[in-house]
Amino acid sequence: MRIKEHPVLGIPEKGKAVSFYFDGDIFSGYEEEPIAAALRAAGVLVHRHTSRRNEPRGIFCAIGRCTDCVMIVDGEPNVRTCITPLKEGMRVQTQYGVSAVPEGGDANGTL
Amino acid sequence: MEHYDLAVVGAGPAGLSAAIEAAGAGMGVVVFDENAKPGGQLFKQIHKFFGSKEHKAKTRGFQIGRELLEEARAVGVKAELNSAVVAVYGNRELAVSQGEKIKRVKSDAIIIATGASENMTPFEGWTLPGVIGAGAAQTLMNLHGVMPGKRVLMLGSGNVGLVVSYQLLQAGCQVVAVADIARTIGGYGVHASKIARCGVPFYLSHTIIKAQGDGKVENVIIGETDAKRELIPGTERCFEADTVCVAVGLSPMSQLLGQAGCRMVNEPQKGGFVPKVNEYGETDIKGIYAAGDVSGIEEASAAMIEGRISGAAAANAAGFMPDGEFKARFEECETSLAQLRRGMFAPGRKGAEQSETDEGIPLSRALLSKGYIDENELSAFPGFRDCSALSETYPVIECTQNIPCNPCQDVCPKGCIHVGNDITALPVLNPKASCSACGMCVAACSGQAIFLVQPHYEPGYALVTIPYEFFPLPQKGDKGTALSRSGEALCPAQVVDVRDAKALDNTRLLSIKVPSSHLNRARFFVKGDFANG
Repeated sequence: MRIKEHPVLGIPEKGKAVSFYFDGDIFSGYEEEPIAAALRAAGVLVHRHTSRRNEPRGIFCAIGRCTDCVMIVDGEPNVRTCITPLKEGMRVQTQYGVSAVPEGGDANGTL
Repeated sequence: MEHYDLAVVGAGPAGLSAAIEAAGAGMGVVVFDENAKPGGQLFKQIHKFFGSKEHKAKTRGFQIGRELLEEARAVGVKAELNSAVVAVYGNRELAVSQGEKIKRVKSDAIIIATGASENMTPFEGWTLPGVIGAGAAQTLMNLHGVMPGKRVLMLGSGNVGLVVSYQLLQAGCQVVAVADIARTIGGYGVHASKIARCGVPFYLSHTIIKAQGDGKVENVIIGETDAKRELIPGTERCFEADTVCVAVGLSPMSQLLGQAGCRMVNEPQKGGFVPKVNEYGETDIKGIYAAGDVSGIEEASAAMIEGRISGAAAANAAGFMPDGEFKARFEECETSLAQLRRGMFAPGRKGAEQSETDEGIPLSRALLSKGYIDENELSAFPGFRDCSALSETYPVIECTQNIPCNPCQDVCPKGCIHVGNDITALPVLNPKASCSACGMCVAACSGQAIFLVQPHYEPGYALVTIPYEFFPLPQKGDKGTALSRSGEALCPAQVVDVRDAKALDNTRLLSIKVPSSHLNRARFFVKGDFANG
C-alpha cells in the first residue's frame, strides 16, 4: 500500500525504518510517520472495538479530530494513532473499549 | 502573562497570510496551531491552483504552502505548534493548550483562521473501517505516501470529491465510482473530465445505501433517487470496494468565535454558522477578526487574500500601517478577491441551477451529468475549432464553464489564447495567431483542458498532445490505446514524444499518434493492446 514514486511528489520522504509491535507481532514502518499510516501500509484496518457493541473502528479523519483511530500505545489507552509519530520498539495494541483486554477473551497484553 | 500585538489562531493559508501581512508592517505576531506542522491543508493540495498570476495560479498547493512559510520566516512570524487554542475571550485573551499545560495569552488583536471541518453523512455501515473522509485520503497518500485503499468509491462530486478522486488515481488507487445525490456534478467540469477520461464513472442522483463487509468495507451499495431524493427500488448497484471516501462538504470551524461572544449567523451559502464580519473580516467585537474558511467556505486562494486583508486591517488599527498604505493594500486585495468571486462557481451562485455560460452559450449537459463534454457540444465554445483542414498544430481548449482562471493566456508566447481582464471569461482562440506547439498551455491549464492537435502528422494520422500526470510514465515508442473523453477505448495509439521539463511542473506532455478520424476524440492514453482491451 506504500506509494513507491508519485508523479507529482516524487519518492515519499521517510524517516529511518523502524520495528514496532502490533498486538505482539513485529511490524515495520518509518520513524515519525503516524502510527496509523504504518498500520494502513501493513494492511491493518481495525484499530479498536467499541465498548458496548464491540464494533470495529479504524481511521476516519486522519487529522486527530474524530478519535476513531485510538489505540493503546506503550500501555497508554486512547492515543490518537493518526497524529502520533511512530518510534522504534513502540508497543501498539488494539483497544477494546478503553482496555487492551477483549471482553471475555485473552489478552495480548495488560494495562 | 505573555502579550502580543497580534495572535493568529490557525497556521493555514488564511492565518499565515494574515500573520505575514501584520508582521511585515512591524507587529509582534504569534501564530498558534494545534498541529505539529504549519500549513493547514495546503500541503495535501498537490494540484495546480486556479486564478491568475497574483493568486499563484498554476502553482501547486504544497508549493504555495512552502512559499508562505518562507515569507512568514522572513518577516519574523513566531509560530507555536502543537498548541490548541481552547478559548478566546471577548477581552482578547486566549487560553492555549500545550502538552499538559494551559497558558493564557493576551493580545491586542486576534485573527481567527481555524478553517473548516469535513461534513459527514451517516449511512448503514458508515462506521466500518474503510469509510474515511476525503481529507483522510489526502493526508494518507499526499503527506505519508500510503494508499488509503485499493478500490475506492467517492461519495460527493464537489471539487473536493473530484480533486481527491484524481489524486487517488495518481497514488495508484482505482476509483470505482463517484456518486452524488445531486442531479448535476457540483465541482468544476474540468476536474470531472480529468477523471472521466481515465474511465471513472459518475452516478448522479444516486445515494449510498450501505457499506458492508466482515469487520471492514468489502462492498458498497448505491441506488438511484427520484426528484424527491427518495430511493427508486430496483436501482441498487453493488461495487466491490475496500474504501468509501466521504466528500460531502465542509463546515466553518467557528466555535471559538461563538465562544468569544461574536455575533454569529447561520448562512447555508457559507457552509453554516459564521461570524458577522465587516469588509476587513472584523467581527462585532473590536480587534477580533475572522479570515478564511471559518468565515465562509471558499477556495484557499480566497482564504489567503482574506488573511492579507485582516492582517493589514489589524496593523492599521494598531497604528503599524498608515491609512494611505492600508487603503491601497485593501483595494488591491479587494480587486483580487472580486476576480475570484465571479463566474459560475461564485459564492452567491452556489447550488443555483444554471443553463448557460456568461457568454450565453448553453452549458454542456453531458459534462454536468457524466463528467465529460459530448463532442458535438464542443463546437459552440470559443476555445474549440475543427481545423482538420489546417496543416499546422493548434490548441483545442475544452474549457466550457466560467471559472476564474487565466494561465493559458499568460503562458502562450504567440498570443493564440485570449481570456481578457475578466478572468472568468471562456478562453477564445485567436485564428490569426500561429501556434508554436510549445505545449506550455497544456501544462499550465490547471483544469487540464487544453490539448494540442496536429491534424496531418503522417498520411492518415494525427498527433494529439495530452497532459499526463501518472506513473509509470509511458515512453516514446510505447504502443497502446487512445481513450475518449468518457474513458472508452477508441483506437490504437502510439507515443511519439514525451516532454518533461521544470517549467511543466510535473505535468508531462504526451504526444500520441492516432488515426486522423479520432483527432477530435482521443484525449487519454493507456498502455496495452487496443484489440485485447
